[in-house]
Amino acid sequence: MSDTFSYFLMAWLDPQLLLLTAVGTLAGIYVGAIPGLSVTMAVSILISFTFSWDINNALALMVGIYVGGVYGGSRTAILLNIPGAPSAVTTAFDGYPLAQRGEAGRAIGLSTVMSVIGGLLGTLVLAGTAPYLADMALEFAPRDYFLIAVLGLLLVSTLSGKSLARGIFSVALGGIIGLVGMDTVTAQPRLTLGSMELLGGIHYVVVMIGLFGAAEAFYQLHNLNQVPIKQKVDKIIPPFKMVLKYLPLSMRTSIIGVVVGALPGTGGDIASLFAYDHAKRTVKNPSSPFGEGAYEGLVAPETANNAAVGGAYVPMLTLGMPGDAVTAVIIGALVIHGLNPGPMLMIETPHIFWFTVGNLALANLFLLLFGLTGIRVFSKVVEVPKALMIPLILVLCVVGTYSINSNMMEVYWMLGFGIFGYWLKVFGFQMGPIILGVILGPLLDETYRQAMSSVGDDAGQFLLALLANPLSLVLTLVIVLVLLSQTPLKPWVRRRLSRQ
Amino acid sequence: MFKPILAPIALVVGTLALAGNAHADYPERNIQATIQWGAGGATDNVARSLTPHVEDILDTTLVLTNRPGGTGVIGMNHVMRQRPDGYNLLYGAENPQLYPLMGLADFTYDDMHAVNIIGQGLVVIAAPAESPFDSFAELLEHAQENPGELRMGGTGAGGLPSTVLAMINAVDELDVRNVTFGGDGPGITAMLGGHIDFMPLSLAAAGEQIRGGEMKGLAVVSAEELDSLQGVPPITEALPDIESFLPWGPFWGVFVHQDTPDEAKKTLTAAYEEAVANEDFQEFLQNFGAEALNLTGEEAEQYLDNWQSVTAWSMYEADADILESTPEELGIPRP
Repeated sequence: MSDTFSYFLMAWLDPQLLLLTAVGTLAGIYVGAIPGLSVTMAVSILISFTFSWDINNALALMVGIYVGGVYGGSRTAILLNIPGAPSAVTTAFDGYPLAQRGEAGRAIGLSTVMSVIGGLLGTLVLAGTAPYLADMALEFAPRDYFLIAVLGLLLVSTLSGKSLARGIFSVALGGIIGLVGMDTVTAQPRLTLGSMELLGGIHYVVVMIGLFGAAEAFYQLHNLNQVPIKQKVDKIIPPFKMVLKYLPLSMRTSIIGVVVGALPGTGGDIASLFAYDHAKRTVKNPSSPFGEGAYEGLVAPETANNAAVGGAYVPMLTLGMPGDAVTAVIIGALVIHGLNPGPMLMIETPHIFWFTVGNLALANLFLLLFGLTGIRVFSKVVEVPKALMIPLILVLCVVGTYSINSNMMEVYWMLGFGIFGYWLKVFGFQMGPIILGVILGPLLDETYRQAMSSVGDDAGQFLLALLANPLSLVLTLVIVLVLLSQTPLKPWVRRRLSRQ
Repeated sequence: MFKPILAPIALVVGTLALAGNAHADYPERNIQATIQWGAGGATDNVARSLTPHVEDILDTTLVLTNRPGGTGVIGMNHVMRQRPDGYNLLYGAENPQLYPLMGLADFTYDDMHAVNIIGQGLVVIAAPAESPFDSFAELLEHAQENPGELRMGGTGAGGLPSTVLAMINAVDELDVRNVTFGGDGPGITAMLGGHIDFMPLSLAAAGEQIRGGEMKGLAVVSAEELDSLQGVPPITEALPDIESFLPWGPFWGVFVHQDTPDEAKKTLTAAYEEAVANEDFQEFLQNFGAEALNLTGEEAEQYLDNWQSVTAWSMYEADADILESTPEELGIPRP
């Protein structure tokens, strides 16, 4: 017990580790805020950089970057309607309208506090239930991931705005974009038009930067001379009463975040989509209608994506398997430093688990500190004249896209999606469903084929497996329930019944 | 995070410097090194732990960039299109030796110059801890009585599991359901949950799980038992004929454009030979479940040709239908 406690406090008491965690968190906020610069990339560059360091120092810096980076994505989402990372896509839905009302400071303040609550809850779940949660995550068979992806498709009704038909069209379009590249099973080129550059597919962050960043910049040209909205900067830190009011919602969305994060096949991006959907379905009287600046629309994704960080560490620390792309790189760092990430990690190097838990908690406290300072300056970004802001956004989009894979081709793709997205916006399409399709398309493709080949390509066996396994059965029932309650099927059935 | 932005600036400054002093010694500026697989993968881990030693020897910075996609086609294609001045390196794995066979690209490592074949990964056929099979022979027997029943984890056509399966099928018969995952990691996760029955894996990815008792090793793809994995029998115990294909494993190497000046090739070769031999790196490879090779020049070329011929012909003999061309058409000699 005393060992546990001293490992937990390692990062808190050692001035060097304390400083590195702080520096990491601060740097992470900026890495996360710039679209295209991702936490995965920052952490993999850190591997070479920290090669000769002590492993604890390297880990402290990485934890800081990770926690700060996941939060940072919300900054640009709120201020510019450009999510800094895929997990902040839903933050823009209500964050940007808030900034347009002059409440950018309040929105950033609230999302900071909620991110920290989500992050701490995620860490708590990691500390308390890691071995059990890891066992549960392993229970998910390919068919269960397939069912989750199907459930994800149903989010289209939440993300479509006014026209469901346009939303369904957009999801399908996104799905097709996601399928471009080499077929995962047969290694055949798929929708690549004979181009070698397309063999690797179209990176979904490229699509995201194009549709949200460049398209938004082009669209803003319509109101180039509009007088910028004066920002209210007096009430930045949300009052305690407000935090308390959203506490139940944030608990629920944190649980969504930590569970989805712990599943090795899904991460913060999908978690925040599910959380937003959950908020929209369960909150009866939001502060404003969803999509027009509801505080609840900020609370849900921001708690979920930060809680997913704790979740992603669950399979990594207990089994040596990555929970997402960032923990995959951190596992690589452990290997390079001569540690053995695997089921023996907690036995051979017992300090790693509690050190990481303590470090995550510490990074979240730094996040609160750094997140709540400097908001006044940040809010002023919205007041910058459009004629200055739009070129700047485009430069950021280009730099961000190029830095993903250092590939100029992807910059052209990004600009192409920007122009395409501009026209979609003009004709009243939403960008959210397209990203949903790009994320879920490959997941559906991969998991459906895995599930089918597991049962020898027998559709009857496949359906039987859905009913025979308790986990799959629950997921199937949820899908049926959502379908019944969300589609015209329910009123139709009711009408038929009452007629009889 | 600054490197991608600084790199072009460094390049411009470097080019200007080169123009002013054309006879300066190589290397006089940063070297761009492309990793053809993503961050956190085996190739990435090898590249990132070897590079600091090379930097020390060459007294310059190697700017590492991951350019994944299309089983490495995109990264290799990028390096081949850069100026052949010795300032563009490729960290690659075994995949390019099969590109023409799979119809992915018309180039192989024959079209580049091999600076160093760093090492070779060891391969183990693993099963879940609760599996009813204790050796590969038992699994093979069960599969022959119940063809098409067992679920094998794979990573797609041309991946390591499919190649191992091809070798087995070239000398015996193993009919399984092939469940494809995005890589070793997702495959192992599925195995820990009992969603697949076995999977050929690199020891680097599976070693810790076997040592921790979460999975068991049925056989190592080698002619002898391995020091690093005691108690797991060699595959030749169940399939003696497979020995003609061994030793076999995925490998990692460093490559440059063929037209690179000889001076640069010589400097790089010497630097990498010394770096791979470094004690720290050797220790890393051993922990990583790999075998150091450190091959250069003729030896490296020979290794590459031999690997290609063994792999291509076993794939052809096991199932010619999945290939775009036959090894014969491509002029690959029989092993």
